[in-house]
Amino acid sequence: MTTPTSTRALTWQRRARALRTGWRSFRAQRGAVAGLAVLLTIVALAVLAPVLTDESQLGIINTMSNPALAPPSGEFWLGTDENGRSVLLLTWWGARVSLLVGLAATLLSVFIGTFVGIVSAHFGGWLSAVLLRFTDFFLVLPSLVLAIALSTVLSRGVGTIVLAIGLTAWPTTARLVRAQTLTVQARPYIERSTALGAGHGHLIAKHILPGVLPLVFANTTLAVASAVIAESTLSFLGLGDPTQISWGSMLKFAMDSGAVTNGAWWYLLPPGLGIVCVVLSFTLCGRGLETVLNPRLRGR
Amino acid sequence: MSMRKWAVGVAAGMLAVTTAPAVAPLGAPQADAQDDTGDRTVLRLGVTQSIDTLNPFEAIMASSTELMRLTYESLTMPSAEDMTPTGALAESWDTSDDDLTWTYTIRDDITWSDGEPVTADDIAFTFNLMMDDPDARTANGSYVSTFESVEAPDPTTLVITTTEPQATMLSLDVPIVPEHIWSQVDEIAGYGNDTMPVVGNGPFLITEYRAEEFVRLEANPDYWRGPAEIDELQFRFYRNSDAAVQALRKGEVDLINRLTPAQFDALSGEDDIEVNQAQGRRFYMLSVNAGAATADGDPLGNGHPALQDIAVRQAIARALDRDVLVDRVLGGYGEPGTGYVPPIFADLHWQPEDDQAWNFDPGAANAQLDSAGYERGPDGIRVTEDGDRLSFRLYGRSDRNADTQAGQFVRDWLAEIGIEVDLEIMSGNRMNELQKAGEFDIALSSWAVNPDPNYVLSIQTCDQRPSAAGTGGTTESFFCHEEFDELHAQQLAEFDRETRTELIHQMQRVIHEQSATIMLYYENALEAYRSDRFTDFGYQPADSGVIREQLGYWGYYGATPATNPNASASGTSTGLLLSGGAAVVIIAVAAGWFVTRRRRASADDRE
Amino acid sequence: MSDLLTPGNQLTEEAGEEQRPARGGLARYLASKLAGALTSLLLVVLLGFFLFRMLPGDPVQTMTAGREVTAEQIAELRERLGLSDPLWRQFLDYLGGLLQGDFGDSFRYGRPVGDIILERLGPTILLAGTATVLAILLGLWLGVRSAWRHGSRFDRTATGVALTLWSVPTFWLGLIVLMVFAVGVGPLPGLFPTGGIRSIDPPPGLLPQVLDVAHHLVLPCLTMVAVIFAQYQMVMRSSLLEEMGSDYLTTARAKGLREDLVRRRHAVPNALLPSVTLIFLHLGLVVSGAIMVETVFSWPGLGYLMVNALEYPDLPLMQGTFIVLAGTVIVMNVLADVVYRFLDPRVRAA
Repeated sequence: MTTPTSTRALTWQRRARALRTGWRSFRAQRGAVAGLAVLLTIVALAVLAPVLTDESQLGIINTMSNPALAPPSGEFWLGTDENGRSVLLLTWWGARVSLLVGLAATLLSVFIGTFVGIVSAHFGGWLSAVLLRFTDFFLVLPSLVLAIALSTVLSRGVGTIVLAIGLTAWPTTARLVRAQTLTVQARPYIERSTALGAGHGHLIAKHILPGVLPLVFANTTLAVASAVIAESTLSFLGLGDPTQISWGSMLKFAMDSGAVTNGAWWYLLPPGLGIVCVVLSFTLCGRGLETVLNPRLRGR
Repeated sequence: MSMRKWAVGVAAGMLAVTTAPAVAPLGAPQADAQDDTGDRTVLRLGVTQSIDTLNPFEAIMASSTELMRLTYESLTMPSAEDMTPTGALAESWDTSDDDLTWTYTIRDDITWSDGEPVTADDIAFTFNLMMDDPDARTANGSYVSTFESVEAPDPTTLVITTTEPQATMLSLDVPIVPEHIWSQVDEIAGYGNDTMPVVGNGPFLITEYRAEEFVRLEANPDYWRGPAEIDELQFRFYRNSDAAVQALRKGEVDLINRLTPAQFDALSGEDDIEVNQAQGRRFYMLSVNAGAATADGDPLGNGHPALQDIAVRQAIARALDRDVLVDRVLGGYGEPGTGYVPPIFADLHWQPEDDQAWNFDPGAANAQLDSAGYERGPDGIRVTEDGDRLSFRLYGRSDRNADTQAGQFVRDWLAEIGIEVDLEIMSGNRMNELQKAGEFDIALSSWAVNPDPNYVLSIQTCDQRPSAAGTGGTTESFFCHEEFDELHAQQLAEFDRETRTELIHQMQRVIHEQSATIMLYYENALEAYRSDRFTDFGYQPADSGVIREQLGYWGYYGATPATNPNASASGTSTGLLLSGGAAVVIIAVAAGWFVTRRRRASADDRE
Repeated sequence: MSDLLTPGNQLTEEAGEEQRPARGGLARYLASKLAGALTSLLLVVLLGFFLFRMLPGDPVQTMTAGREVTAEQIAELRERLGLSDPLWRQFLDYLGGLLQGDFGDSFRYGRPVGDIILERLGPTILLAGTATVLAILLGLWLGVRSAWRHGSRFDRTATGVALTLWSVPTFWLGLIVLMVFAVGVGPLPGLFPTGGIRSIDPPPGLLPQVLDVAHHLVLPCLTMVAVIFAQYQMVMRSSLLEEMGSDYLTTARAKGLREDLVRRRHAVPNALLPSVTLIFLHLGLVVSGAIMVETVFSWPGLGYLMVNALEYPDLPLMQGTFIVLAGTVIVMNVLADVVYRFLDPRVRAA
């Protein structure tokens, strides 16, 4: 028997190698790389917003001297909103909430999905049957309808939106994880572990999770894209927290204040294009990751 | 391969299923097909608020109420000039000395649109129906709440007896329905009243209604004031005001209202479009929870105790720059708030003397809080003597755009005087619930005032606070003040206009001083119409008033068509034929191509 | 795309893989599927009822907000709407009504919810149906061409455009389309109506009236097609790619069949299977997918109805639309399973 340390070292070596191979295969896909680059830029800009920009200009009592709904100019590159705030600044800061909601909602849904998926595949019996039935039920519910209902019922706020998206988006992850868990469990080494007396906890933590996680990761990337869109949709319907600047709430205000009628394209385009950029980048990255993980897809 | 046949079959079947409904509703013969619209003058309204029902006893949305006023004449009508009561079904009236018995003389020259005469019996029937049947009280029950009896001793005399003096006896905004039709209705609740044409006696009669699409009304040729100048009136429904604005620009509608300032500005300079900035009947305010309690005085909810201190409330009133609110939230189309009754009611409106007014003065507000003993804590937020931070919850409604904007201003201004505000925008439903339970500190609120302001005044009286069980009462924010209640009782029993006006002024002074209701602004009503199609409307009030959503029908009744014969209502036919035809062709070609392609033996797009 | 909150998954998931029915007698199979669907429907009813009862606040307060009402009126209204009964009682009443096809009366319209929903179903099916058919045709066609010329400039452009449109929020695209094609930008006049389903004064005659509706249909339909065609394209593309490596194609070519015949006769029909399953799976979802398009274009359908009911809020109407929208998906899912069973030769043979 090898010592525990060397087993671990071996495992890590193997994982590092897999990661390198994966990265090479990812890098070969131009779309995915472009998506990743755009994404990293946007995330960096969003994180650095407090350093690079003047947050006080988001407060509407500080912009009282600026013109309202002014077209782009040297001072305001993307014009101003109905409160005289710079649309560029709003879009910049809006990225923070939109991305945050997208990521948080995805984490929630992936967490629920992974949990349900693994449990239903690993334990079997009536628990599995019930969970599967439950997943199937949620899978067929129109998620937008359910998300609308949930965010109507709960009080307004970013947390509610995260909850509404998270609670409606998990079933696909659950199905995916369940299928993958079943595949992993069919492998001979699991049988060996069981024979050696490994408990459920050990099996799940040491064998199933590592086997499932890469796929979950790819799935997460794709799910963020949909969560970002869902956030904007719910905010647009007036179900979000309008005091938080997100791309969705910006579009709602553009709509409500009559910016469209006014021909204020500078107010309508930036948040929408922001959403398209982020969603497209996440989708490209996700597809790239899937290709890496699923060699069958390679070359498509 | 049978598999292929299946696929083709499924595709063809789906095509059939999905395109069938496109034709089905239109396949039915259109009984209502209009004759050529060329020589008819049609006023088309772009409406953003949909209507709930055509049943006048149940219609509670503003658009439906407006429709009902057009269809059913009421007893009296606020005049177009200044909204003072003027005759409608009743040509004159008289009251007893105790103001409990009202005798109306009913006109004898009015007929229903089916030819039956309108008599006092119809009116008595309508009111008695409301008194007997709770379902009939859904929309306008408040008007009959003190009614004891309504009788029609002869066809031109109506006698109403009330249990206590009622101030609204000349502004009973109740559509009067024909007895010979409505006595046949078994159950008022859920009755659609959609047998076309609807039998009415107003200036316009409903002839067609399609939910969320449109309502068509035709001018009543036998209307007792004389037929309207236009032949037809259409309410066209749009999901949002931007869609309605675009429809106006394209000439799809002739008149729109509820414009945002940005939309109003955008339309101001345009050819063939005229804008109308009118004083509104609506005011916006901050409702402060100055100690919520039941009618018995038992405390309720969890309002911040510091707001029970009048000094804090007055400091808040002084910390707000109402000019900025008007400028930013209303785009300049409004007036800063002062008295409780909006200035559109010139005589009832009250304004504080300049030294009494809550002018924007953060210095004075800070000084007032300092002298009241609220020291600033280490974080700059003031604390009470008990050590509670002055941190208030400010609630606003998500469906009212102004709340988010005004709320942010209020939050930022109060921060300047050491008060922390947690702004939360929520659904109207939730806000109602919290406000009702006294679980709020400050709420953004708004009311539209009727020519008789009794109702909006009554919601500030002690009596309207809920019972011990937490039910009943229509209090706005649990305001309870002895002097105010006394004044309220006096004005209710006072039928001399001048004396009553003075009492109402005094009531507004109390509200102003107490600052449990902090007035923010009065919003202008912003409207726009096609000046190439219509030149004039009946404004209410005559000098600075609105066309739409009046307390009456003057706007449409007084609509004057432009004489320009070239401006026809149907300007879209060419574009329609072109693009509609193109769409059908594209769909047909795509479908045909898909099906035939599978049958063709050879292909032309070789790789 | 807001109809499907999970675009990526739909794009790449191997449709039908999870849907493969177990072998066994057709009757038994159908029975088990139906039982499952009935359970789901019951759950939907439960969820719909209790979820919307959790709505904060008193509907009567909101219904009467801003109106001059007396406290007695409010109490009477509560009584009439049955809101003063205990919750379990309200639920039993509701369930009993449902079994007789009665969804209750709308708070707002005062009419049976079932009638209102039926009225709105037509416009929604017209919009969603037309858009789906067009999206399927476009998606499948592009998918086949992309896969066959895999790696070509056409493939890259088509895939790129599809993915980009897929990433656009439906309502935003709708607003832009509305601004450009209905209002007009610069020299371009507004060619299409800004909303609604037909003109109020339709031209006389059947054909002009059909044209009139088609004219109103163009923009909402265009918006919906633009956002949903990508899923069919991507599935078609990937399943055809999978088939292209198959031995039987090589055999077919070896027999001397022309390339386009190989594609049309052999590859495409076999690759169509996942797409057809996906189509049926999505048939239920497109109805709810129309929500945002209907909202932007004032299209008097179910989605518009639901959004309006939310604002009111009209509990029975919200429950009704929720049950109908979710029920459609469940029914379509069963159909998808059955269709799959008939289409897949491997399953059929069993």
